[in-house]
Amino acid sequence: MKLKTNTSLIIIIAAALLLQGLSAVQYYYTRSLLADELENRAESEITAKAIIVKNALNLAENSLNGHIWDLKRNLLHPDSSYSVMELVLRSHPNLTGCWVAYVPNYFPEKGRLFEPFVWWDHGEIKHAEIAAEGRDYTQNRYYKAVCASDAPMWTDLYQDVVSGLNLVTYMVPIHDRKGDLVAMFGLDMSTEQLGDTLNYRHIYPSSYNFLLTADGQLLAGPKHEREKKVQEMAHIISMINDSTVERSLSNSGLSTVIPFADADGDEGLVFYAKLKGNPKWKIALVCYDKEVFGQLKKMRRTIGLLMLLALLALGLIIARSVKNNQKLQQANLTQERIGSELRIATNIQKEMLPRSFALACDDIDIFGSLTPAREVGGDLYDFFVRDEKLFFCIGDVSGKGVPSAIVMAVIHTMFRMASAHENNPARIMQTINETACEGNESNMFVTMFIGVLDLPTGHLRYCNAGHDRPVVVGGETLAEKANIPIGLFADFKYVMEETMLDDGAMLFLYTDGLTEAKNLERQQFGLPRVMATLTDCPPNAAQLVERMKQAVQLFCRGAEQSDDLTLLAIRYVKVNPEMVLEESLVLQNDVRQVKTLNAFVQQVTERLGIESSLAKQIKLAVEEAVVNVIDYAYPAGQTGDIDVLALSDGQWLKFVITDRGVAFDPTEKEKADTTMSAEDRPIGGMGILLVRELMDSINYERTDGKNVLMLKKKIEVKSEK
Amino acid sequence: MITKIEELDGKFVATLEGEMDTIAAMEAEEVLKPLYHSDGKDVIIDCAKLEYIASSGLRILISILKGAKAGGSRVVMKHVNDDIMTVFKLTGFVDLFEFES
Repeated sequence: MKLKTNTSLIIIIAAALLLQGLSAVQYYYTRSLLADELENRAESEITAKAIIVKNALNLAENSLNGHIWDLKRNLLHPDSSYSVMELVLRSHPNLTGCWVAYVPNYFPEKGRLFEPFVWWDHGEIKHAEIAAEGRDYTQNRYYKAVCASDAPMWTDLYQDVVSGLNLVTYMVPIHDRKGDLVAMFGLDMSTEQLGDTLNYRHIYPSSYNFLLTADGQLLAGPKHEREKKVQEMAHIISMINDSTVERSLSNSGLSTVIPFADADGDEGLVFYAKLKGNPKWKIALVCYDKEVFGQLKKMRRTIGLLMLLALLALGLIIARSVKNNQKLQQANLTQERIGSELRIATNIQKEMLPRSFALACDDIDIFGSLTPAREVGGDLYDFFVRDEKLFFCIGDVSGKGVPSAIVMAVIHTMFRMASAHENNPARIMQTINETACEGNESNMFVTMFIGVLDLPTGHLRYCNAGHDRPVVVGGETLAEKANIPIGLFADFKYVMEETMLDDGAMLFLYTDGLTEAKNLERQQFGLPRVMATLTDCPPNAAQLVERMKQAVQLFCRGAEQSDDLTLLAIRYVKVNPEMVLEESLVLQNDVRQVKTLNAFVQQVTERLGIESSLAKQIKLAVEEAVVNVIDYAYPAGQTGDIDVLALSDGQWLKFVITDRGVAFDPTEKEKADTTMSAEDRPIGGMGILLVRELMDSINYERTDGKNVLMLKKKIEVKSEK
Repeated sequence: MITKIEELDGKFVATLEGEMDTIAAMEAEEVLKPLYHSDGKDVIIDCAKLEYIASSGLRILISILKGAKAGGSRVVMKHVNDDIMTVFKLTGFVDLFEFES
């Protein structure tokens, strides 16, 4: 049991590990797919956002460039430039201001420095000339840079001193017809709007874009409300600025990727790249792992949960199967126990059958065989000799197996008990039936044949309770009258039948397991085959039974035996030994005749040379038997003869006492109890006890209206007569 | 057969001689009847010369024994020979009576 539990535990653990392994592989595979996907999407977004930025810048550049011609046309009229700048300002919503910084002393009337400026102020356009000696734009580094390069440029981010807005400025050098630099034409643009546009929509909701100037200043980005985010962005910006890898978007769109982790442990990736051309700004995209892989983690959790459920189910299944296994083992054990008990039962049943077929009498050759279909069967047969009579029976309990076997054992015992003091088979049957009917709730019934064969005469009395009719081989089939099986109606009167068996007659009894034995084609052996087998049979009980068994086995050829098979053969051989003594005496039914009887017996024993002690025993037995007849055979006042015949073959001395009185069977009397105390002990009952004890056998037979009582004693002959 | 009874030292002494068959027993019973009521006196039955006894004889003996037991006295069988003893054994008498040789 312990082993079983461990095995199931191991199975569950192995299954868990396997599932875990599979899910890990699946997780990492999916994660790498998602990472690739992220990269692709980040690249697309960065590229798209870069285009947006470039578009915004281009728009602004174009606004300015579109009015250069206008400005040049008015180079002679310093104040006319205001209207041009106004046009520029109105052409693009993100522009906050437009200006022209003329080279020093370009308009002598305006002084050395002249810088007309147009700007939006709370929805209105204002004009002013903002040049002052304290704010010498010629000293501005961008101004100098454009002078030097003579090419347009975007400035870095700065905070406008007037509006406080974060601005970038685009400036273009203006030349006159001769090609001399005459002024810087510039516009100011707020980056706030650009930040909003960049962060209008993202591949992942929490992602954000921002722009950095070439030297790493934040140009435009999301409006972070949380300080944490602001710090995080600052951190990311410094990471980008520290990074030595710089790629331009022109490099087939490959951006640089830097992983980061914020203070809360949120991890993510920063993608950044330089914009193509001028200005040399950098655009960055921040993505968070939890958004990229969040679904995956969710999926992993779900799968994990499912796996747990699956494992639980597996555990339950295994536990149940282990339990079932245990049950099965238990059932096997029970089966084994039942099997061994059945084997014992088989032996017990075998032992209940007569152990030996060698009887103490020479006139009977008997052989029986019982083959149960299962371990135990519901068939029975039995026989024994009592008082020169062979009692035998064969029976078949309805059904088969254990229930039948129990009934069979009971019936068998009842047969023995009922026939102990009863010579009439019908009365024996009746006694068994009455007992069998008591409390027969399961309605089991028994077909049974009981026979009582008087050995000296061959007189067979029998009673058949619904059993297959026995056969006298080469002669009649017995049992014309069908009594009902026993166990059905307690008050049924069983009828006895009788016949005389000839010298050498063979009686064959069987149960329906013989006639109903089936072969593989479901054909029955049948009575005709039984009779055919019997016609050519050896005059030997054992050989007959064997031959019948072989015949039925040959017929069935491997078909499973469906019913118990019982066969019983009895051969009656009359023994007619040569007599060395045959004396007879006729007595009257008078107790005073005892003297004559005793003298007769004495004479017989003396003639046979029987020693005195044995002679006295024989004399006593005969006296008691005759006195018994005198006392009971004839009712008071009636007289009749009693014939006493003494016969001896030299081995046995036999007395046959015959009277014509009322039927009286002294052998049916129960043996007197010799162990009782003097006070309890009845005075009578000792006569028949002495007869039984002193003689070797005693036999009563009622034939032709006569009571025939026979006493037999083995004698030792001292001398030949 | 010969059947006698006498009283000696406050005891009944019965002497049975010969063969006590059914007929002889009927005759002997007439003689032995007084012993059915031994009135507390012990009964000694001398079987020295008893050769044979039928069941009717045994019935007399058991009647005597029942009488004696009722009066609290003993019945002693004396000098029982082997043949008679065989009969006594078969009938269980050996356990009922006292025996002396």
